[in-house]
Amino acid sequence: MSGWHEENPNKVTRAEIVVTIPTGGQARAIAFPVEKANEGLAQFFPDRKSAIIGCGYHSDNGTREAFMRVNTAVPKIYLSPPAGIKGKGPHLKNLLQKAVELDARAVIVVDVDASSITPWWIKNLCNPLFRDFGFVAPLYLQHRLQGAITNTIVYPLARSLYGRRVRQPIGGNFGISGELARLYLEDSFWDNRSSEYGIDIWLTTFAIVQGVPICQSFMGSPKAQNPPDPSDEAARLFNHVVGTLLAMLGHYEKKWQGIKWSKPTAIFGFGSGETETAPDFAVNKEKLHDRFTEGVRTMMDRWKAVLVPEVFSKLTEVADIPSDRFDFPTQLWAKVLFDYAVAFRRQADQGDDLLESLQPLYWGKVLSYVNKVDTMSTQQAEEYIEEVCLTFEETKPYLLERWTKE
Amino acid sequence: MAKILIVDDEESIRLLYSEELASDGYDIALAEDGHRLVERIEEEKPDVIVLDIKMAGYNGLDLLQSIRERFYNMPVILCSAYSMFKGDLKSMAADYYVVKSSDLSELKKKIGQALEGRTGPDA
Repeated sequence: MSGWHEENPNKVTRAEIVVTIPTGGQARAIAFPVEKANEGLAQFFPDRKSAIIGCGYHSDNGTREAFMRVNTAVPKIYLSPPAGIKGKGPHLKNLLQKAVELDARAVIVVDVDASSITPWWIKNLCNPLFRDFGFVAPLYLQHRLQGAITNTIVYPLARSLYGRRVRQPIGGNFGISGELARLYLEDSFWDNRSSEYGIDIWLTTFAIVQGVPICQSFMGSPKAQNPPDPSDEAARLFNHVVGTLLAMLGHYEKKWQGIKWSKPTAIFGFGSGETETAPDFAVNKEKLHDRFTEGVRTMMDRWKAVLVPEVFSKLTEVADIPSDRFDFPTQLWAKVLFDYAVAFRRQADQGDDLLESLQPLYWGKVLSYVNKVDTMSTQQAEEYIEEVCLTFEETKPYLLERWTKE
Repeated sequence: MAKILIVDDEESIRLLYSEELASDGYDIALAEDGHRLVERIEEEKPDVIVLDIKMAGYNGLDLLQSIRERFYNMPVILCSAYSMFKGDLKSMAADYYVVKSSDLSELKKKIGQALEGRTGPDA
């Protein structure tokens, strides 16, 4: 890792379990996940050699000091990049490299923002890796109105493409086998968008296409995060996550084209003490509608250029529905995303413009989703999402036909 | 022809399902509960498992966990008289969830999909 600075005061050369935390310059937030990782390793894996590795800036923002200052029984290592290296992606890549150097059998990736992390998370993300699973995705308790981008795009699209049901594929905290860590390092897809918010969906998708045994682990609590940055972060998150998803279609096209129906995974982590309930969550429906109608006002020509005539025509019908009854049919939404996937491949150099024009449609779909599930129970909302996913899977032949014709 | 293992503690259900599915050309194996289920699966080598949830002495959702750990890609269709278990996270480990009915068309459709899915991702 040329140019990187490493602090390894305990001179750790091997570790069976490694908890990695891309620290992202978050000096105030870093202590908590490090404490919980230490507690989890000490409580549930006392006989296994472990290490906690942080990766972030070496500069004067105090993150490195805050990380090293946490009192832990488990030894810590801190990696700092050369000046100018930014983003979760490069940091994670080097964390994985270090984990591989240490010959780790289990690598846990912890989001520095995970303010609700408990020692049970470490146990539940790590245990399946000692039962021959290669990738462990988290399963958080979540309010039905949370996770809009996952519920309306990421889960149904990734599931229909790659054939594996990972309910929360951008959960931010994962378990990765040492073997899979090596495979990640060999893949060429460490793209710009995947270097930040897009990294999670790439990690999950890569694990699926590699065919490693995947499971999901119940975390028993909601995923609370430290307050997000200003609202334009929502646009960056959308661009990175959806941009990575669409870019991966070209990179992994041989993998997804042969898949017809999705398959489930094993689920672990039950019996982990008390289960919390998801906190209440509010959505501003008028704001969503405003963002959609702004798109109707300004983006029609761009939508017409991307969408096939039949899909565009249906979309113009949807555009007239008032906010309180707004409904964006799932099959139409699937075809919109599939048309954008084809356009993304055709005009890869205009990816940012395509994503910009897709966003208002996304806000419209979120409004439709909220209208649908607002008065539902959690179980009813999950059944609805299952129907959405099945519709995506049933509509996939449309994508295949369009993709192979291009 | 594909083989279906039907796991249900009600004899009338086992009879109904085995007759209907056999008439569609499937080979049928039966189990009346979860006793030695993993070993039975290894012996019978089914292509799909239809698994009841509420069985005397056995919880189908816990059996599903055991099946999923041992047979990563084995298609399993949960089949219950109750829809309430759909709210149990453990049911997500099944390929499909069908509510029991004397009309087996939905179950047959899901069996067909589950068998098609076997050409999908492998591990």
